[in-house]
Amino acid sequence: MSSLLVISLAAAAVFAIAALGELLEQRAGILNVGLEGVMLLSGTFGFIAAKTSGSYLQGFTVAILTGALVGLLHGFFSITLGSNQVVNGMAIWILGFGLTTYIGYPYTGPLGLKPFPTVAGLPTFFLVALGLAIAIWFLLFKTHLGLKLRSVGENPSVAEASGISVTGLRYLAAILAGMLVGLGGAVYSLVYNPVWNYNYLQGWGFIALALVFFSLWNPFLVVVGAVFFGVLWQLSLYPELLFPNIFSRYIWRAMPFVITIIVFIVLSTRWFRLRWGATKPEALGLAYQREN
Amino acid sequence: MGVARERSAGRVVLEARGITKRFGTVVANDHIDLTVRAGELHAVLGENGAGKTTLMRILFGELQPDEGEIYLDGQRVRFRSPRDALRHGIGMVHQERKLIPAHTALENILLGHPKTGVILNLREAEREVSALCERYGFRVPLHTKVWQLSEGEKQIVEILKELYHGARILILDEPTSVLSPPEIVKLLESLTRMAKEDLAVIPFITHKLPVVLEHCDRVTILRRGRVVAEMETRHATEQTLAAAMVGREVVLQLERVQVPLGDPIVRVQDLWVRDDRGLFAVQGLSFEIRAGEILGIAGVAGNGQEPLAEALAGLRPVERGTITLDSIDITHAPVLERWRRGLGYIPTERREVGSIPTFSLVDNVLLNYHFESEFSRWGILASGQARELTERILREYSVVAAGPNAPARSLSGGNLQKVILGRVLSRKPRFLIACLPTHGLDVGAAEFVQRKLLEAKQSGTAVLLISEDLDEILALSDRIAAIYEGQFTGIVPASEANKELVGELMAGLRRERV
Amino acid sequence: MRAVIGGYLIRIERRADLRWWHTTLASVLAIVFSLFLVGFAFLRVGADPLEVYSEIVRYAFLSEFGLPQTINRATFVLLAAFALIVPLRAGLWNIGMPGQIYAATLAAFGVAYAFGAKRSVNVQLPGELIIPLMLLAALAASAVYAAIAGFLRGRFQVNEIVTTMMLNWAMLWIVAHMIREGGPFMGRTAEGEGFTLPTSLRLPQILGVPLTVYIAVALAVVLTWFLAKTTLGYRIRTYGESPRAAEYAGINATRISTLVFALGGLLAGLAGYHYFAAVPGVFKIPKNYADFGDFSFYGLITGLIARNNPIAAIPVAVLFGGVSGGARFMQGKLRLAFGIDYALLGVLMIMMVAFQALAHYSVRVERQAAVPRPQLELERGESRVESPRH
Repeated sequence: MSSLLVISLAAAAVFAIAALGELLEQRAGILNVGLEGVMLLSGTFGFIAAKTSGSYLQGFTVAILTGALVGLLHGFFSITLGSNQVVNGMAIWILGFGLTTYIGYPYTGPLGLKPFPTVAGLPTFFLVALGLAIAIWFLLFKTHLGLKLRSVGENPSVAEASGISVTGLRYLAAILAGMLVGLGGAVYSLVYNPVWNYNYLQGWGFIALALVFFSLWNPFLVVVGAVFFGVLWQLSLYPELLFPNIFSRYIWRAMPFVITIIVFIVLSTRWFRLRWGATKPEALGLAYQREN
Repeated sequence: MGVARERSAGRVVLEARGITKRFGTVVANDHIDLTVRAGELHAVLGENGAGKTTLMRILFGELQPDEGEIYLDGQRVRFRSPRDALRHGIGMVHQERKLIPAHTALENILLGHPKTGVILNLREAEREVSALCERYGFRVPLHTKVWQLSEGEKQIVEILKELYHGARILILDEPTSVLSPPEIVKLLESLTRMAKEDLAVIPFITHKLPVVLEHCDRVTILRRGRVVAEMETRHATEQTLAAAMVGREVVLQLERVQVPLGDPIVRVQDLWVRDDRGLFAVQGLSFEIRAGEILGIAGVAGNGQEPLAEALAGLRPVERGTITLDSIDITHAPVLERWRRGLGYIPTERREVGSIPTFSLVDNVLLNYHFESEFSRWGILASGQARELTERILREYSVVAAGPNAPARSLSGGNLQKVILGRVLSRKPRFLIACLPTHGLDVGAAEFVQRKLLEAKQSGTAVLLISEDLDEILALSDRIAAIYEGQFTGIVPASEANKELVGELMAGLRRERV
Repeated sequence: MRAVIGGYLIRIERRADLRWWHTTLASVLAIVFSLFLVGFAFLRVGADPLEVYSEIVRYAFLSEFGLPQTINRATFVLLAAFALIVPLRAGLWNIGMPGQIYAATLAAFGVAYAFGAKRSVNVQLPGELIIPLMLLAALAASAVYAAIAGFLRGRFQVNEIVTTMMLNWAMLWIVAHMIREGGPFMGRTAEGEGFTLPTSLRLPQILGVPLTVYIAVALAVVLTWFLAKTTLGYRIRTYGESPRAAEYAGINATRISTLVFALGGLLAGLAGYHYFAAVPGVFKIPKNYADFGDFSFYGLITGLIARNNPIAAIPVAVLFGGVSGGARFMQGKLRLAFGIDYALLGVLMIMMVAFQALAHYSVRVERQAAVPRPQLELERGESRVESPRH
């Protein structure tokens, strides 16, 4: 049972880190629905780098850089060109999905490195995720930069009038977010499940996106939600741990996705929707044209 | 009559010379001179289109003049951006609030201040801001979220923000337009106090509020882009100012039409409606409107008028209470049923709610007709009929448009409003809800709209008029209901109503038996 | 933004007036550019991209085997594109085609199964009765499955991108359950594929391609007419342009969302029925059914490149159906890594977004006659305090 928890935390780390990145971005008003694509790209390139070099460090570095680049790309389309952020996100997802299927194919198979070390029996990256949650909370609510970031996401024209460079800050958010999401993707492909297969991410990027919505843009709730989904996922893979012999194992595989939808429904009560509407960054997903 | 100022005017802090700005063939500012002194409240008056906005934007660095110079304390300056202007000590408070509702007042004041360090030091900032409040006699709860503040308080937050960023010269764009009469007095007292502290304040206003002149020292009057007068207020009277602004004697009076009132068409009983935050914006309103009657709702924006209109139109759920139309309960009826029973609604937002900018005018007219059997036969749109109706509306309402297929966004605000009005009125509604129908329209279009409302009233429609223009309400309504914080503070027949009384009711300073 | 470089003034401005041919040109350029970029993959293995592409074209459009395959693939893509387009006209994203396709397929095979079709390929069953039933079941199942996402979006504002994606993965596993070891639809070989449809239950073909092909083409016209001329189409478009104005006009968000997704699902379901129950050589749920789910995303890009126009989607679908199939063929021939058609899909999508965004900008180059004070003017806030006038 405790090993179930440990693996769940490893999975939770992936969800949490990726979702925290997107949370940061969304707080600045940028919506990236293509998290799956960013994670696929960074995870794949990181995997390839790690496999060919034999070094985790190289793998993670490449992954984070990839994430930053993809984040920058999404930022360029959304911020400078001002095109529809949902379409851009879709493009990033399909780009990731399509490209990595082709590029990763020759590397199909296990990573073949020594398992990544744990800390006191806990998955290292879960602790990293916790640290990140605290850091992001601190950044957003206790620093001036955070106030500026949040303003940019609420009302960019007011922010601009107050002397803030909306464009600059949004780019910063997009790149930082890309790095975090990239890290999340790398944690999946290098640590949690170090075996490459096409479309290996199985929708985790979309679940991370859902997590950001569920969390009311609060970093700590992200971690809580991530743990929930981590446990859920392990149960779907090994249902015999709790529910031996009910349903075939394929039905169990479908379960986390169904639960995600149910969570959505449960959370759509009026109470939740009111708070959701209140905490949602008002300018989320809207392009900003500087008046000149 | 202006109040004689005891202090002598200070040194010249801001001087604009020969400011000229053209937009294509239109000369918005024509060699304008403006001299503002420290410690002075210098009003700039002018009607819509006189060039005030352009001048303001130039002074504030948003626009570059084609000709002319600006001198700050005798030094020639050129502002490349509002940030630049602020750095030189010129602050601007816009007509529309530029605050972030989800953040606290203090957070808004702090935003973007260059000297703050990495870590947010709210305590020290609070001390500094409180000191400012003390100095100028402001009272504002700094840790409250801005969406919870009143309009007057929000405005003070914006003024504080500019002061905190070091502004010595404050430009105010229509500072009194969203305030109730008592709030206006309070604001002007604060501005006077600021002037005593050697700041210069420049309110830009239209002719609607001569009360301001009591507190201002000088006034510059613009007309058609030129300065037509500049004087000390103690030498001015309301009449001379008005005449200078308009250039002639203007008497615009719509005769109120006497119409025999019919039976009550609309009955609202103990209505409770929540706003988007979950709070009750409408608290137990009850009223009725008869056929041929215009009930005007007077109130400062944000006191529940919009949620009331939305609830009546079916766009917002009703928590408690009833609405009946021709004795039929429509409290929870879907929108289409209300229209079928004779409701008509002209929403405040022309382009976001009342029309679809990218659709043709025909498709826009269909917005209120798509469910009628003569326009939708066997599920197929009767486009011929729709087109005919649209052409008829364009003709009857003298709409300037390229044709029925022109996209709605190609129309000016006034013409678009005419189309919306024509669309709704052509249905001959029993009950018409008109929300800010003349908002943002020029005098000609506004007068047209008002005339049409009176025509509707004459044909027996019960009209609910919601407007922020007190003069309009007084001129058109048969009865006036003042709304304050979701409740009626008084319902007054037009014969007994005047600006002072209604103003006090609107501000919640007085309550009459409803 | 303006820049002066070497005596020329270059002005890049956002277009005030975007014409249809700007966006059409952007779509065309995106396609051409993508093909160009993917050509590098061929170059890497020492093949001449132009040669490869001409062979692809020959195979896909001119060969005896390739052409029907192209048509069948194109139909699949076209129907998937419709499944995107209809909800997108209402401003809603349906990326649940794979799930809807699987649902339809399961329903169709379910009906066949109920009539005992699993027994043998030669079992004689009344096709005239059962085939329509299969089709109906397929369409109903996918419509309902999609409507879940639509309803949730309309009633609870639940993000439809996430729900449809979740539904995709859920249905993927349900199909696995049905056709893999021990599942009810398991095929004879027990190798993880479904049972084969008996000959009596196969959709008739006309001119060598299944009936569904003609239905799809007809649908392009029907859908265009539906959206432009019917009341429901008007309401869909209104909601898509402005949900607030639609609410004002009495259009019920929940009803429209649910309906529009049901329609989208229905169209995707037809794609599923088409490929698994109507295309010769298939007639079963294959082991690699997930590939087809992925392939339906070509419908996504088709819909977007065709700018939401069902009729314009036809040539685009034909192009993609052919090129993707031909690329697969060449992939085998040139011993390329698996997934060249996936790579093309990815590149296409990003190129499309890029070119559509760029279409919004116009670039003007003017020769500058002797400029007195050349300067790089980017809008920044610098002021120049000059000496006071005397």
